[in-house]
Amino acid sequence: MDFNVINEYIPLYKNALLLTLKIGWQGILVSLFIGLIGSAILYFRIKILKTFIGIYIEIFRNTPLLVQLFFIYFALPKIGIVLSAEVCGTLGLGLLGGAYMIETIRSGLESIPVIQRESAASLGLNEMQSLWHVILPQAISVSVPGLLANVIFLLKETSVFSTISLMDLMFTAKDLIGMYAKTIEALFLLVVFYLIMLLPISILGTILERRMRYGQFGD
Amino acid sequence: MKRKFLRRVVSGLLVLSVVAAAFTGCGSASASENSSKDSDSASYRTLDEIKESGTINIGVFSDKSPFGYVDENGDYAGYDVYLAEQIGKDLGVKINYVSTEAANRIEYLQTGKVDIILANFTVTEERAQEVDFANPYMNVALGVVSPENAVVTSLDDLKDDDEVIVISGTTAETYLTKNYPNIKLQKYDAYAEAKTAFENGNGVAWANDNTEVIAFANENPGYKVGIASLGEQDTIAPAVTKGNETLLKWLNEELETLGSQQFFHKDYEETLLDTYGADYEETLVVEGTK
Repeated sequence: MDFNVINEYIPLYKNALLLTLKIGWQGILVSLFIGLIGSAILYFRIKILKTFIGIYIEIFRNTPLLVQLFFIYFALPKIGIVLSAEVCGTLGLGLLGGAYMIETIRSGLESIPVIQRESAASLGLNEMQSLWHVILPQAISVSVPGLLANVIFLLKETSVFSTISLMDLMFTAKDLIGMYAKTIEALFLLVVFYLIMLLPISILGTILERRMRYGQFGD
Repeated sequence: MKRKFLRRVVSGLLVLSVVAAAFTGCGSASASENSSKDSDSASYRTLDEIKESGTINIGVFSDKSPFGYVDENGDYAGYDVYLAEQIGKDLGVKINYVSTEAANRIEYLQTGKVDIILANFTVTEERAQEVDFANPYMNVALGVVSPENAVVTSLDDLKDDDEVIVISGTTAETYLTKNYPNIKLQKYDAYAEAKTAFENGNGVAWANDNTEVIAFANENPGYKVGIASLGEQDTIAPAVTKGNETLLKWLNEELETLGSQQFFHKDYEETLLDTYGADYEETLVVEGTK
């Protein structure tokens, strides 16, 4: 391995990491937002919206992100909707993640025994209050492992962004290999930078999970 | 709880070091391979091995009409494929076409996934260090195409925000990166994606091999080749894995023979005439020169 080459490449990978993180987190925020709204709709069983959410989940969970990005980036401009590559990336990731987040949060909500809801009602809390003060705190702590798995999954999915000309980590590596053919160096940095991005999240996740479970069960 | 956290950190570090070790392992292995490059390295097949197996793996483009593409019947066709067919015939083996992208042509050779790359591969110094090129069979330079209503005639006229579309791993990308480091490049993986993006109005211009941009402008009204020849005139040649001398020698002899039969003029007339007309025939075709 040629360490001069590695030194030369590091700034490029750093930029790619920042871009990946930026779009990754934007996408994750969008997906969490969709997740909360969507699971609330499913929880309250709001009639027509419930069907919509169901269709949305099935569409986005059963098509690859690559296909969704292709559609948003290459097909929408044909009908006059032109979005920048970054917005497309965020949107694609957010919509895909949203479908997973809804299911994860919903499973958390459903894991809370009905008696909690009934008890809350008997204490005079209305539906919204019981969701906010009683059900949600417990449900979130159940959902945390799933949510974190989703976050890591979404950050890894950014590797298909090359299709829409975003210089993410994967594309940077491929591009450098194409130009200078230093395969080992480029791939080594790729693995290292993915680990730099994801290991802290994974570790943070363990801590967070502990904290959240403390809220529910104590240590 | 503290303990668990520590364990987690330690295991994380372990993963990192294992990966690092694996890669440095790879690195030193290939270094020693380089120093004693003999026939025992398994990354390529010699001429005899190919003949014996009865099939040759040839890497071609599947989306770059009219050089290498899949026609309406699902068969590979184009200028490069025409040559590939002839090679298969003269070797007396079946051809297994492997679809490649610009960026992975070198890797496919280095890892032995293909025996020959015939994917409009432009000869450059950097690439010649990684693979062995046979004699050229075509000429090429770079060109820049842009929409008719805002033709780019010089790269110096571009504004700071203007982005130029290139395909990752092409000579256009390397040339612009080296000579115009200030121009923002919008990079795509494959021809089809770059083409669609350009049609959608991304980027002010598209830089690529001039053969490609001329063909694009001919086929798509509303676009004009503002810069028909950028940089130096290059050649396109078949490439084999570095060190595969038997195959290289055979290829060179083959290209010589074909050249003496004016094979590539026939190839041009069969595959490129519709796109480029007769005007470019003498500019593009190379017959059996060293």
